[in-house]
Amino acid sequence: MKRIAVFGYSIMSLEVIKQLNEEQYSYVFIVKNETEALLVAEQGFDTRIIDFRNDEAIKSVGIGENIDILFCFYPTDSDNVFLTISARSLDNELTIIAIVDDPESAEKLLAAGANKIIDPYEICGRKTHDMLAKPDITDILDNTVFGRHDLHIAQIEIPKNSSLEQTKTSALLLEGTYNLILIGVVDKVSDDNLHFVMDEKEHTLNIGDVLVVLGPASDIKAFKEEIEAVICI
Amino acid sequence: MLTQLVFALVTFQQHSSTYKKTKRFFYHLLENSESRLKSRFDKAMIMSVLFSVFLFIDEVDTPASNFEKMFEHLLIALFILEYLLRAWLYNDVHHIILTHHAKSLYLNRPMQWGKVAKIIIAKKVEYMLTPLAIIDLLAILPSFRSLTLFRALLIFRLFKLFRYFKSLRLFAEIIETKRFELYTLTVFLGFLIFIGTVGIYLFEHAANGQEVRNLFDAVYWSIVTVTSVGYGDIAPQTTGGRLVAIGLILTGFGVLSFLISIIVSAVNDRMHELRESSIYAELKRYKSFVIICGFGRVGQHIAKQLEKHNQHFIIIDNNKINAINARRLGYLVIHADASKNEVLINAGIKQKASAVLCTTGDDVVNVYITLTSRYLNSSIRIISRANHPQNVKKLYQAGADNVIQPFEIAALVVAQYIGKPVAFEAILGVIREEKQFIMETLPVCSGSMIDGITIAELDFERRKLMLVGVVSANPTHRKHKNSYALKNQHFYFNPPPFFVLRTGDLLVVLGREIGIAYFREQLKNSRPKESKR
Repeated sequence: MKRIAVFGYSIMSLEVIKQLNEEQYSYVFIVKNETEALLVAEQGFDTRIIDFRNDEAIKSVGIGENIDILFCFYPTDSDNVFLTISARSLDNELTIIAIVDDPESAEKLLAAGANKIIDPYEICGRKTHDMLAKPDITDILDNTVFGRHDLHIAQIEIPKNSSLEQTKTSALLLEGTYNLILIGVVDKVSDDNLHFVMDEKEHTLNIGDVLVVLGPASDIKAFKEEIEAVICI
Repeated sequence: MLTQLVFALVTFQQHSSTYKKTKRFFYHLLENSESRLKSRFDKAMIMSVLFSVFLFIDEVDTPASNFEKMFEHLLIALFILEYLLRAWLYNDVHHIILTHHAKSLYLNRPMQWGKVAKIIIAKKVEYMLTPLAIIDLLAILPSFRSLTLFRALLIFRLFKLFRYFKSLRLFAEIIETKRFELYTLTVFLGFLIFIGTVGIYLFEHAANGQEVRNLFDAVYWSIVTVTSVGYGDIAPQTTGGRLVAIGLILTGFGVLSFLISIIVSAVNDRMHELRESSIYAELKRYKSFVIICGFGRVGQHIAKQLEKHNQHFIIIDNNKINAINARRLGYLVIHADASKNEVLINAGIKQKASAVLCTTGDDVVNVYITLTSRYLNSSIRIISRANHPQNVKKLYQAGADNVIQPFEIAALVVAQYIGKPVAFEAILGVIREEKQFIMETLPVCSGSMIDGITIAELDFERRKLMLVGVVSANPTHRKHKNSYALKNQHFYFNPPPFFVLRTGDLLVVLGREIGIAYFREQLKNSRPKESKR
């Protein structure tokens, strides 16, 4: 189970937690005052009131120790930049996701060490355009992959000693066997980019390659289990 | 007998579709400023008028050739025809007759033909006395070459251009709005010229009789001086004359400044309207466009995306700073309240607008704009922004087709990024066509090559395409598994090889753009001719 530290109480932070699978993640909520702490605690989250400007206080939350992911969701960009710099100096491996208010601050956050910048207004603008440009596709994906239906997109890494090693993508036949659609493969050996399977170039799977598949959760789980079972043999 | 004939004619005009069509055609040709036909006609007329004026100028030195004479005759015939057609379009004579006839029947009294004729003539005379109709008539007169005086009226042919140049017409309209100020100025100017004329005549005629010979010379000198032109051909010699000159020059400056300020303020007053009318004219040129209500952060990003994909749009924002920002970026902007019916109607919600996007940061405003848009156009696509989750339902109730919550979507992106960044970026790239591969929908049309065949027969692998699923409302597909309910239909994910495609189904395919385009073309060509139409 991965541990996430959420800095900043807002609609955004609560929405993200709602979207994440509670079985896979545990959270610690860092708020600024008692009122916010009460509101968050009411929802059953571990809550702390600390000053993010103090490195010792950040360490006390678990950054540099057991925190895997950090959400910088303060409404002010300067606060998020300061928090990002502080956290990155404590943990190089930490995944830092920061929200941005002014688009000009995005580069500053990246320079400070954030892995992913989220501009809600930009995402909203793009989404609206997607809805206008491709209403059918966005409607299908919103209702299935990103919606309430049990259809998911997943990435599955080829483990060591897997029987899939040296298998050609055309020989996988996931559609018929596992009820999954293989969209592409990330070739870890060559370029770390996603290669779509319809491409003319046939790809041979290696350990560490990542398969990007689309399908129902149960079928994805079954496929993953089968790959893991191969390791046991 | 004559009465019966008139009634037969009037009834024919009232009921004949051919008559109505003909009148409508000439209305679009001559009067409807939004018609393309009129735009073309105006351009042709501008060319013809200018050419005819050049011919007139040429005739000053050289005798007219046969071609020139023939052209002039044709143009005059066209002018006369245009004049008569405009008089015909000005009002409906048969309506006047039928209204009076109905009145006579109701009051049970004989038809008063004299009164009717008077009204009809009065209406037509009313048209003939309009400034543009007078110019039209005066433009015809120079062709009567026997009347030398009429040749001076050639200038009216140039005035006729007012009819065809929209900007000239607008300028005339602007001047019209300042009629009172201009009238006051004209009276004052007339008074000034009168004083100057009398003054210079009294002081200079006796002492400088060679230059100021008569009253006309005095009037001429006053006008030249008051307008600050000052040719210098007549110069005052006496002290009194020079004092009059000083007085006229100084007041002339004042009058000139006053005139300029009147015109500038008139143009300024109408600037907003002029800008908007140019925006509406621009919108009319587009086949379709999107209306963005609100140019805040979300609106700006949408505009950027639409601009990137060469899609036309118009921004409506009540906030002056937002409107200025949008204008600075070169976008079409209406600085107005988008919740007003008139604003949305003028923006084209009932005509060529394909979608309305309500993107303001205020849910109350978004609900109101959504409701107004739906009321004005029941079929237009409306996408609204909800800033608070509790307002999503209200926006759907107001008539939105889709509701977007910025923080919910951003949260989804974060959640997807944490678990499967590559997969999520891949699917986003496909939707946004940023990768080489795109996802498209292809319809199964009646009689096309894929209508009634199985997925296996289609052989997507050979076509280098991937079938993700099929969207269908056809109940025969219900037996298949992997079915996900959409609005009024189902999405069949990864359909089996024996899945038979039916008319109305929608294939969701993934592939290179070129491959999908080629397959789409094949499907189109395989359809029977009638369904293609």
